[in-house]
Amino acid sequence: MSSPFEQVVLQSDFDELETSELSLLETLDHVLNRGLVIAGEITISVADIDLIFLGLNVLVSSVETAQEVLRERERRESVGGTERLHTER
Amino acid sequence: MTGNGEPPEASQAFYVYCIAAAGAAAEIAVDSLPGAIEDDTAIELIPVDSLTAVVSRVPLVSYAEENLTQNLTDATWTAVRAMRHQQVVEHFSRRISVVPLRFGTIYLELAGVERMLTERKQELTEIIDRLRGCEEWGINLYSDRKALTAVIDSLSPRLRELNEQVATASPGQSYLLKKKTETLRADECRRELQRITSEVDDSLRQFCEDARRLRVLKVEATEYGELTVKFAFLIKRNSFEEFRAAAERLARKHEKIGVRLELTGPWPAYNFTSE
Repeated sequence: MSSPFEQVVLQSDFDELETSELSLLETLDHVLNRGLVIAGEITISVADIDLIFLGLNVLVSSVETAQEVLRERERRESVGGTERLHTER
Repeated sequence: MTGNGEPPEASQAFYVYCIAAAGAAAEIAVDSLPGAIEDDTAIELIPVDSLTAVVSRVPLVSYAEENLTQNLTDATWTAVRAMRHQQVVEHFSRRISVVPLRFGTIYLELAGVERMLTERKQELTEIIDRLRGCEEWGINLYSDRKALTAVIDSLSPRLRELNEQVATASPGQSYLLKKKTETLRADECRRELQRITSEVDDSLRQFCEDARRLRVLKVEATEYGELTVKFAFLIKRNSFEEFRAAAERLARKHEKIGVRLELTGPWPAYNFTSE
């Protein structure tokens, strides 16, 4: 029996995200729309952020592409990590 | 790859992820830090007095104002950067109290970051203190209009009454009454959702330090129905189990009428950086 209660616990390890599409949307919402706004020397205007959300459907469709890019780097880094371990020995 | 040495400073900017207390940040192991927003750069801590900014270097070729605006229109580029921003902020927020910044706080020089830390010291310190020991959790409320419409007649005395009138009315009257019933049904569905929203809000507020009702983005309907309401709750770590149990009770209570609750988190306290 499935629980009536959907809990999406976010994890840093993207491979373990089960509902990745939702997580990506939630993350985008948090990261792009919220958080303390400090005007840096280069700033993204509210209009730009709104522009991103106009393309929200595009973003959803690029979940796979985005995650592939992220995984690719993790793979490279884990290979690098192994190499470092070897040199330390 | 990095053998050519770092690019000259003038071609780089400083991307800020979050702000933390300098002492607490210094105790985080540097060898376990997540990757920065751009490849082949590292997370750096920029301490000024009692505060530290968590930053990394970014190439101006991607992040200068007009280039950044251009890049943001590339959904994949933006999604990847947003996820990396989140990974860095999350790494710190799971361990210490931080002020999570919105994506895209960028300084041309290190001196700009340092000046910001100095000028906003009091405000930033207050936020760090207020958020200590807390996490943000999201509750999304989905409603399946069809399922709710199917049960609303049994929930609403006014609808029951109208239905009885329809049953005994003459054909002419019955037509008008049916029209009236349809309008009332839509109203009663809206009212029921508002009532559940208030109930969720009131019930869960007891377990949190602060709560916000968030703007719902225009997204397509999901398999659970339409996303109707979004809440963010600021919760002390040791109150979370109670909060979760209460949310689960609410979820069970309302699932039968097509209302679904979803819990997301823990998030850095993005929604609670202002009072």
